[in-house]
Amino acid sequence: MGLQPYLILAACLFTIGLFGVLTRRNAIGILLGIELMLNAVNVNLVAFARFTGETAGLIFALFTISITVAEVALGLAIVILIFRVRRTVEADNLDLLKG
Amino acid sequence: MNAGTLALAALGLPFCSFVLLAVVPPLRRAGRVAGALSIAAIGGSLLASLVLGRTLPRESVELTWPWLPAEGGPMATVGILVDHLAASMLVLVALVSFLVQLYSLGYLEHETPPALGRYYAYHSLFAFSMLGLVLASNFLQMFIFWELVGLCSYLLIGFWYTKPEAARAAVKAFWVTKAGDLGFIIGIVLLWGQAGTFQFSGLFQMAADRTLPTAGLALIMFLIYLGAVGKSAQFPLHVWLPDAMEGPTPVSALIHAATMVAAGVYLVSRVYPLFLLTPDVLALIGWVGAFTALLAATLGLVQADIKRVLAYSTVSQLGFMMAALGAGAAAAGFFHLLTHGLFKALLFLGAGAVIHAVGTNDIWKMGRLYRAMPQTAIVFLVGTLALAGIWPFAGFFSKDAVLAGVWEGGLTTPFLMLALTVFLTALYMFRVVFVVFFGNRPAEGHPHDVPLVMSGPLWILAILTLGWGISLAASGGEEKAHGPEWIPWLASGLAVAGIVFAWLTYQKRAVSADALARTFRPLYVAALSKFWLDDLYGGIYRGLLLGFSRLVGWVDRYLVDGLVNLASAWTLRWGDGLRRIQTGRAQDYLYGVAFGLLLVIVWSYWR
Amino acid sequence: MSLEAAGFWGLALVLLASSLAVVLSKNLFHSVLYLAVALVATAGVFLLLQAEFLAAVQVLLYAGGVVTIVVFAIVVTERLVGERLAQTNRGVFTGGLVSLAVLVWIVVFIAGAKLPAAAPPLTGDLTQAIGRDLLTRFVLPFELLAVLFLAGLLGALFFARKEE
Repeated sequence: MGLQPYLILAACLFTIGLFGVLTRRNAIGILLGIELMLNAVNVNLVAFARFTGETAGLIFALFTISITVAEVALGLAIVILIFRVRRTVEADNLDLLKG
Repeated sequence: MNAGTLALAALGLPFCSFVLLAVVPPLRRAGRVAGALSIAAIGGSLLASLVLGRTLPRESVELTWPWLPAEGGPMATVGILVDHLAASMLVLVALVSFLVQLYSLGYLEHETPPALGRYYAYHSLFAFSMLGLVLASNFLQMFIFWELVGLCSYLLIGFWYTKPEAARAAVKAFWVTKAGDLGFIIGIVLLWGQAGTFQFSGLFQMAADRTLPTAGLALIMFLIYLGAVGKSAQFPLHVWLPDAMEGPTPVSALIHAATMVAAGVYLVSRVYPLFLLTPDVLALIGWVGAFTALLAATLGLVQADIKRVLAYSTVSQLGFMMAALGAGAAAAGFFHLLTHGLFKALLFLGAGAVIHAVGTNDIWKMGRLYRAMPQTAIVFLVGTLALAGIWPFAGFFSKDAVLAGVWEGGLTTPFLMLALTVFLTALYMFRVVFVVFFGNRPAEGHPHDVPLVMSGPLWILAILTLGWGISLAASGGEEKAHGPEWIPWLASGLAVAGIVFAWLTYQKRAVSADALARTFRPLYVAALSKFWLDDLYGGIYRGLLLGFSRLVGWVDRYLVDGLVNLASAWTLRWGDGLRRIQTGRAQDYLYGVAFGLLLVIVWSYWR
Repeated sequence: MSLEAAGFWGLALVLLASSLAVVLSKNLFHSVLYLAVALVATAGVFLLLQAEFLAAVQVLLYAGGVVTIVVFAIVVTERLVGERLAQTNRGVFTGGLVSLAVLVWIVVFIAGAKLPAAAPPLTGDLTQAIGRDLLTRFVLPFELLAVLFLAGLLGALFFARKEE
């Protein structure tokens, strides 16, 4: 097994996540897509670490996981807050930044 | 102390005074204290110059420091060059500056202290610049000081800048002299291109060895001469000098009679070895000088403003000097510069005393002033006699030397013009003397003689003028004039004829001035309107410069502004259009991120 | 086909299928469950890469922590809105096209790159190496991470406080 299959797998995972982020209507769904994309990054990091023998990749993956958890927790808190205020989590309706 | 140190001291003292006055405002605003400082500095300069003049070795002293580093040695140097020419000029400049600054204390006693301080700051700067010009050892340095004295002239003519005429005269003086300076700098650069040096000594050496390329040298020397034309008010750039009389009278005495206007003559004398290589240019200088002398003398005849008479007289005498230089009598021309510097400063200061007492420049409002101001009358008469060229005043000897030089130089027509000018000079000067100091109607008001601080300089100048002449007469005096025997007799005869004619016309009223004016009506009208030269320049100025300005204004208003307006309108429209892509929906922005990612990948793939 | 290859392809199949389900499922709750499956499969991939410690962290933090939080969030919002949270996709065509383009270009890029064909043999214990590096080379980012968590904690407290 070479490095290539792992990278292609990660690319697929990333693309699926991107698709989710681009098309989901629900804010929680968008967050799930982001999780998938980050997961793909982790696969890449670990695969490179294994194939180059450099532990930095593993540690970065560790950091990514930790930060992602924090991000999810806060992101969901924000979603719930938005829901409380605006009674919706439809991303289309969240356009306060409209120019 | 050796000569170089003395010269540097003479140069440095006014500079220190100027810097002090410029950067220490309380000192400047103190007025008379500033004046005292400036006078002390120029006094020191005068002392150094006098010692320098006494102890100067026979050969010239040169100090140089490298400047403008370039490949293969410095491109230019700074330095000082002291020889007899520079030393004489140094003494003249320092002396007249000192006396004028002293005199100004009395003349400008009614000025506010800040204005007086400003006046003395300018004066110190002028003294420094003029001394630097005299001591310059190369063209580049000379040009820098040349422009500095031009700047000082501008500042001092416009000293009463709230007066519109003074401000306009200052600008006019600046512009007209700049027209000449343009030629000067082009000439300097061309000469550098030919010879590869700005250094006077190097250039003279090349001229002596005949290694200086002569191709185009005539044009170069003509361009350099243009600088002198502007500064020394030669035809056709003489128009600024009479207007410059709007400045304070002591300024006119210093800058526009004795020193700065003589800079052009000094320049030609300084680089005379180079001019000797181009006889055509020298002949031109002689002709223009003589013509200027005659033209200005006729203009001086019809002026009613005492200072303007003196201004035209200065132009005329500068013409004399230039004519002598052009005819090959460089020593005579420079000699006349020195004597003229003394007695013209004396005349201006005397006129200043009269103006100070009477409160007007108009000679027809003055009269019989010799009763009220005997001292002034005497010194003014001394100056006038010297200017007219009466034995044994200094002017007699220098004027004879000039006339003899021009005659010997073979310039017959210019000689005749100058001879006529001698007659006219005596006539217009004594017209002023008879009208102002004698005449029939007493002046208005209660004129009185001037205080000691003003009369002192007047007496010193008068004594010098007379004393120098007498010492020349005692020492034979004639060794300078190599011309025929009859020339002094002719000159004196013409001068006396002019005096008598003036006496008959303005004192005895035996000859009617009005009748004369009617007889020579075309000439009279032409002279009254300054031969329409000012109008011509005004027309050219308006036609060319204002036309050009209008064109530029149009371009600015419609093309440049139009472009700016167009740009702003487009920016607004584009901004309005681009606003719509800000949908506020995070996912639309994510599309942007995705496209960016695509771009990065594609770019890194093809790189 | 070696055991590693077989494991890889099996895991890849599960991973991709569950990921697609995450982004396509109409039921949000199902999406979350599929996400858990995907995350666990990723942990399997980590195991294949001999990163046991990371696999454990993945399962514990992601599959455990994240999924729990999300489920909790869904439950809370559903209780607030009083109905089941359905979700649909929009702009499927455009999104798919863009995603596909990204995929194609990444794959083209990977195919063109020179990559090692086989993993080098492992030297020493990876977990031990991670621990050592984390407290030596990467001690500063580690501490910064702690600060970040503190900030996250405060943020969560801020959002969760009672309305006044």
